[in-house]
Amino acid sequence: MEDLLRLFLRSVFVENLALAFFLGMCTFLAVSKNVKTALGLGIAVIVIQTITVPANNLIFQHVLKQGALGWLDGEEPATNESQAAQARAEEGDTIAPQEQSTPAGVTAGGQAGSTESGRFRFADLDLTFLGLISYIGVIAAMVQILEMTLDRYFPPLYNALGIFLPLITVNCAILGGTLFMVERNYDFTSSVVYGVGSGTGWALAIVALAGIREKLKYSDVPDGLKGLGITFITAGLMSLAFLSFSGV
Amino acid sequence: MTPLRKALDKTEPLFHKGGKLERLYPVYEALDTFLYTPGQVTRGPSHVRDGMDLKRMMSLVIVSLLPAIYMAMWNTGYQANLALVEQAQAGVFVTDPSGEKGMLPEELRAKLGTDEGISVEDAQPLAHQVGWRGRILDATTGIDPDSFLSNLLHGTLWFLPVYLVTMVAGGTCEAIFSIVRGHEINEGFLVTGMLFPLTLPPTIPLWETALGIMFGVVLGKEVFGGTGRNFLNPALTARAFLYFAYPGEISGDKVWNAANAVPTVADGYTSATTLNTMNAPGATLDAIHVTWWDAFLGTIEGSMGETSVLGAIIGAAILIAVGVGSWRIMAACVIGLVGTSGILYAAALAGYSANAMWLMPPWWHLVVGGFAFGAVWMATDPVSASMTRTGMWWYGILIGFMTILIRAVNPAFPEGIMLAILFGNVFAPLIDYFVVQANIKRRLARNVA
Repeated sequence: MEDLLRLFLRSVFVENLALAFFLGMCTFLAVSKNVKTALGLGIAVIVIQTITVPANNLIFQHVLKQGALGWLDGEEPATNESQAAQARAEEGDTIAPQEQSTPAGVTAGGQAGSTESGRFRFADLDLTFLGLISYIGVIAAMVQILEMTLDRYFPPLYNALGIFLPLITVNCAILGGTLFMVERNYDFTSSVVYGVGSGTGWALAIVALAGIREKLKYSDVPDGLKGLGITFITAGLMSLAFLSFSGV
Repeated sequence: MTPLRKALDKTEPLFHKGGKLERLYPVYEALDTFLYTPGQVTRGPSHVRDGMDLKRMMSLVIVSLLPAIYMAMWNTGYQANLALVEQAQAGVFVTDPSGEKGMLPEELRAKLGTDEGISVEDAQPLAHQVGWRGRILDATTGIDPDSFLSNLLHGTLWFLPVYLVTMVAGGTCEAIFSIVRGHEINEGFLVTGMLFPLTLPPTIPLWETALGIMFGVVLGKEVFGGTGRNFLNPALTARAFLYFAYPGEISGDKVWNAANAVPTVADGYTSATTLNTMNAPGATLDAIHVTWWDAFLGTIEGSMGETSVLGAIIGAAILIAVGVGSWRIMAACVIGLVGTSGILYAAALAGYSANAMWLMPPWWHLVVGGFAFGAVWMATDPVSASMTRTGMWWYGILIGFMTILIRAVNPAFPEGIMLAILFGNVFAPLIDYFVVQANIKRRLARNVA
């Protein structure tokens, strides 16, 4: 429980997707002109992130990961190698999927070839190369559903978000959240917490930026810096203030 | 009319439109209004206004800072003198300001290992500061922690260069921006330029001081259009920049005492602040080497102007009495700090504590570190703080809460007030926004019903 709370706080503040990793900058800078729209987009990102990260986690853990499809092999007794590979894949730790799969796959395949004349087994299958396209597919589907929901039930917000809602599909913060989840090999519960947390962190950042930008309307910014220039400086100074969490 | 006024009036046309020095008008204007009152008067229909203009406001902040400035000069010298004599008693000192390691005379060396030890009177003549400061001190008052003059002079020799560099470097940036952009030089910089050196440790290298204040003035303020248009406190922006860019010179346990400028002394002498000590792994409450009253009065090591809580209370009284600082923000900061540290303290007493910082009672949290200084002079900055009354409470409580969070939960930083205020600044406009929205909603409901 305490670990989950820590993970949540980490993902909101310490590893804030916008202000620590500077992900999702295009929408972060473009839709932060007023608090109301920023709040709407922030909530949309929280929703999308909360759904897609756990969904992608299921896909990763149960389909793509090395050995995840081992149960399709049926009753056949598993060899030592594939057991070892499976065990390693399940323990997982923090090793990146590629790193842990390549050597295991090679040895398992090689030895299997020598003993069992190269029979195909699902346990050896490593589908992580399909990761990017599957995750993006899930995200695109989710965004589409959200868009239709907003269009039907909250037309003002739908109109305010405009083109940026479909653009969430290719928002690097959303894909980034999923890829961080894969890289850190979260289990399902952690991925739910991480999805909520990282979405909340990004939403918090964009709403705060919108608040500041509403205030900066009364500023007298030099011509060359007007618009995006000063917003970049503002975002930089904000991340300076967010450094208070680094090291937690 | 005084000769000064005459001289100013005589040169004034030079700076007007079409004059030879037209471009330098902001410099002239700053000098004139610094010496005299601004010449603007109300024309046309009267406005609702009070007697507060920007100049009066900023000057009053400087007046309220006097106790902190005094402590910066006296206490910096006192701590350095104390440490130098103490180290000389242990046989560590330099022969003269050139920095050569000193050797104890025969009769004193015999005393060194004994119970009697070297007395303060014997040690005092041996103590020296290095460099030009050492030469001035040797020629005048010497090193003597009991002498008011010696303390004051020693401290001033450290504080004044930092202050002058701040004013020159920051003032130049300010003047260049004013001239190019055609706005007037603002008194706001006097306050920023006073606050910034007070938050620095005495041994800060001067080039870093210059770099820091330039960052603070240009990126913290001038790119947004000058005083009143920024969203972060410029002095704290400058300090935070130095804090993350050059952590070696502004954090740790070797920088808080000017005595550390003497290399032989620095080897054996740590000048850890109370918060540094408590933040070390395995520390206990016994590790605090000062009394509560020392911390309250400010005779402890730390950034030059931050140590005295008494000074901050006097400053707060002045600010509140003249209506410049917001008592709501100050009170809310204290509530946030006491509340949060009280919860942690209660948890620690109940047996659950993550580190020694949790065991620190709230009344200690109030007096150590820069909390009092930050809450009185930094958090109340009217430009970067929340503007609505309800918002001020939330803003202050957020700062107090974050201060304890950074002190007690984040092992990376011993002190949290600087980052807590910057964090509060970031969320201040948002707090205002929600307060205003709630107000609109409430009044709508009232009128419709």
